Amino acid sequence: MPEIYLGELEQIVLLAVLRLGEEAYTAPILEQIEAQTGRKVARGALYTALERLETKGCLRSRVGDPLPERGGRARRYFKVTPAALRALKDSRLALLRLWNGLEQIL
Amino acid sequence: MSHPRSPASHRELRRPGPPWLADRLLRLALRSDIEREMVLGDLEEQLPQHGRRWYWREALAISAHALLRRTGTTGDPRRSGDAFMYTSIKDVRYAWRGLFKRPLLTLTVTATLALGLGANAAIFNLIDRMVFRPYPLIDPDRTVLLAETGPRLFTKESVSLANFLDWRTSAGTITRLSAFQWWDANLVDREDPERLPGFFVSSDFFDAVGVRPALGRGFVRDDETFGRHHVIVVSDGIWKRRFDGDPAIVGRTVTVDGEPHQIVGVAPPRFAFPDGAQIWAPISFDPQKPPARQNRSLTVIGRLKDGKTLEDAQAEMAVLADRLAREYPDTNRDYGARVYTLTQGMLDEGTGPLLSLWQVSALVVLLIACANIANLMLARAAERRREIAVRIALGAGRARLIRELLTESLMLALVAVPPALGVAWLSLRAIRVSMPANIMRFVPGFESLGPDLRLLGFTVGLAVLTACVFGLLPAVQASKAQVSEALKEGGRSSTGRQFLRRGIVIAEISIALPLLVAAGLGVLGTNRFLNGPQGYDPDGVLTMKVVLQARTYPDGASQRRFVERALDGLAAVPGVEQAALINNPPASGSNSSRAIEIDGHPAPDPKNPPTVDNRLATTDYFSLMRIPIVSGRAFTAADREGAAPVVIVSDSLAKKYWPGEDPVGRRMKTGKSWMTVVGVCGDVIQDWFNRRNIPTMYRPLAQVPTNYFGIQVRTAGDPSVLAGAVRQALLRVDATQPVFEMMPMRQALSERTIGLQYLAAIMTVFAVLALLLAAVGLYAVISCLVTQRRHEIGLRIALGASTADVLKLTVGQAFNLTIAGTAIGLVLSIALSRLMEAGMLGVASSDARVILGFAAILIASALLAGYLPARRAAAIDPMIALRAE
Repeated sequence: MPEIYLGELEQIVLLAVLRLGEEAYTAPILEQIEAQTGRKVARGALYTALERLETKGCLRSRVGDPLPERGGRARRYFKVTPAALRALKDSRLALLRLWNGLEQIL
Repeated sequence: MSHPRSPASHRELRRPGPPWLADRLLRLALRSDIEREMVLGDLEEQLPQHGRRWYWREALAISAHALLRRTGTTGDPRRSGDAFMYTSIKDVRYAWRGLFKRPLLTLTVTATLALGLGANAAIFNLIDRMVFRPYPLIDPDRTVLLAETGPRLFTKESVSLANFLDWRTSAGTITRLSAFQWWDANLVDREDPERLPGFFVSSDFFDAVGVRPALGRGFVRDDETFGRHHVIVVSDGIWKRRFDGDPAIVGRTVTVDGEPHQIVGVAPPRFAFPDGAQIWAPISFDPQKPPARQNRSLTVIGRLKDGKTLEDAQAEMAVLADRLAREYPDTNRDYGARVYTLTQGMLDEGTGPLLSLWQVSALVVLLIACANIANLMLARAAERRREIAVRIALGAGRARLIRELLTESLMLALVAVPPALGVAWLSLRAIRVSMPANIMRFVPGFESLGPDLRLLGFTVGLAVLTACVFGLLPAVQASKAQVSEALKEGGRSSTGRQFLRRGIVIAEISIALPLLVAAGLGVLGTNRFLNGPQGYDPDGVLTMKVVLQARTYPDGASQRRFVERALDGLAAVPGVEQAALINNPPASGSNSSRAIEIDGHPAPDPKNPPTVDNRLATTDYFSLMRIPIVSGRAFTAADREGAAPVVIVSDSLAKKYWPGEDPVGRRMKTGKSWMTVVGVCGDVIQDWFNRRNIPTMYRPLAQVPTNYFGIQVRTAGDPSVLAGAVRQALLRVDATQPVFEMMPMRQALSERTIGLQYLAAIMTVFAVLALLLAAVGLYAVISCLVTQRRHEIGLRIALGASTADVLKLTVGQAFNLTIAGTAIGLVLSIALSRLMEAGMLGVASSDARVILGFAAILIASALLAGYLPARRAAAIDPMIALRAE
């Protein structure tokens, strides 16, 4: 299987989705990212990232029940795929190895 | 949602929905259904928390993201450098700075483009105003014109009153059906009698064109009843000029065509439909006596009912015409009906092609301008070879480089837009000022010529297109730069690019020549019209028109009386040498013809007898106009009423019907009367376009009276000086009889050919522009060549080449390019002149001398353009040129 390359925003989105578990749809993902990183992500950028991650096979989505407050539309919930999980792990390991021994400096 | 409800009503019900427009925007921007549903749902869910402004902001941002994603620039992070917007802004800034870094290049390109774009903008405005929306006050989408179609397929015919009335009662798809008919009104008030361009119109006329009278009312059905029809509406101009803008004008009675008429309304300012009308009166008929059905003389307009289309109206009218054809087979068999948009229906057939010819010529000029600019850009790209090569070596993408260079071209083109609009404005003013008012009224839209938003849009659009044309080739060329070669010290230009530049110059020269030839043929043709032999002598002749009022001059006797008294009165005016009348003077635009029968030569087809032009003239007409009497005699005072009917025939008539014989003493017949030929006169050019040396018979006006004619007066000096005295003399004969279109014969000739003069003048401007641009292009190429070959030329001079040798070398190159261009241009010119000959009714005749003459002019100017840089080459100091290495 070819290696998946993950950009920074993509990693952040995937981690936020993982943290939210079953409740991962747009609004909580945005809140989660803002709460944990203190950084505000443009909604449009998030949609772009979500779409791309799904095409790359990093995310799968399912559609919930139609809700009146959404004008009769359903929420779309996201779930991280095993492949993306592997890529995240690799990325984490690589970073950890690089961090190793640098604790004093930083 | 804002209805007062019970306090316990659900919050959701009072919640405002998402902004409609923002919602549409998102739907447009988001292509995938799944994503669209998600985004819209998310936003709506959080709308109550954040509000509508937030929704708008998010919608715009998300749409921008989605669009950028689709253009692919924010896609793969490994491919994209910077964001599209960011780099574009950088390009624009870079190009803007570049404009000021090379002011001379910018100025040259801007000036060239301003001329090319300006010429196109001016012609576009002409087409836009005259062809697309000639009637500023009338709604062009809903107003239609209806015509009958004759037995021959698709001939557009006028409509008979009876058919119009039937249409009016039956039509369901068109409302406000209204007819109008030409009317020369003679208005008499406190001042002089004045002949006004007027129209008889039916009751709904003003509603049909969607115009409400500024004062009073339009016409109602009752006005159409014969006997109650003496009411008029006058134009804003007449109201202000003749009635001092009197606000109580409605209800006043004035004399029109000898009868009292009540003014019931004043048209709004600028309204002069149709054909510059200034006075309107109702079409009237006696309801007891049904009007004739075969007399077709009306133009019919109407408005489409709401929700109905032109096709609906067309279908209905076809059925209606079919029904009428069955009910009235005698008059309506083979007649159909057709519906046009008003603009299309009123358009003069010649206008479109003529204006297209201009637009094509203007585009050719712009193309030459583009070629020149492309050449300059190629030269500049050559200078930047090193810079571009370095950037490629450092990893700049080719597409990115092309985009940057194109941005530069685009900036150059856009900078040229304001001066181009200035050029267009000046040209349009010149065109409008030089058009005589009595012709302008027949050219709808001409008065409203001038810059507007559409013109601005057109010019900007054309500028962008132009930038692509002149920018793409140099940009692609420059981006091809070979890194290793360009970076080599002292690398000289490759020959490939020179080849391209020479090709461009050859192309410029080859399209400039046909333009020159076309303009030249036009000018020569016009000159021949104005100053060539006419068959009569137009100098010193004052001409004017009279249409006798039917009430005062109902019969031949009264008409004869007017003619005699007028001739006597005119002869008494000091400075008048001779005076004469003729029904259709030359260059008057009018004509009449009659079927004839030659004694002893019966027509081969009695149903289809030969026709000749019919002229009714007074005794002195031939000597006044200096038309030679070839044989026999002119008219004398003895050729009067009651005397034996006589006729004088033109030379062409004599040759056609009595070939090889002398017609004097022979007889011919028109109508019921036999006439004896007493003389043969020279042929004249009645009208340069279609009535040159046409067989013509002249009869004495005294024997065949008429109620309309032109008066000719021969004067000792400048004819316009006597205009006032001549008018006074005629007013003394009848103070209520208007005299119109009084002008020197020369002016009448000029006005008849005004269209051709415009054609020639505008083509000349284009041709001179083309010649100039081609010469400049050649100059630039040779100049560049000399600069690049400095080293070589210096070496040659050092080795003993003389000034003449160097001149021969460089001018020779200019010569080769010119000859190649001229050769291609000659072929194009011959083809074009054939086309003009065929398309312009023999106005232009392709003349080998003209074509060769212009080729010589072109070659001479090109050689001059090549000589200037050549002299610079000859002056090269070999020491300096060689040391520079």
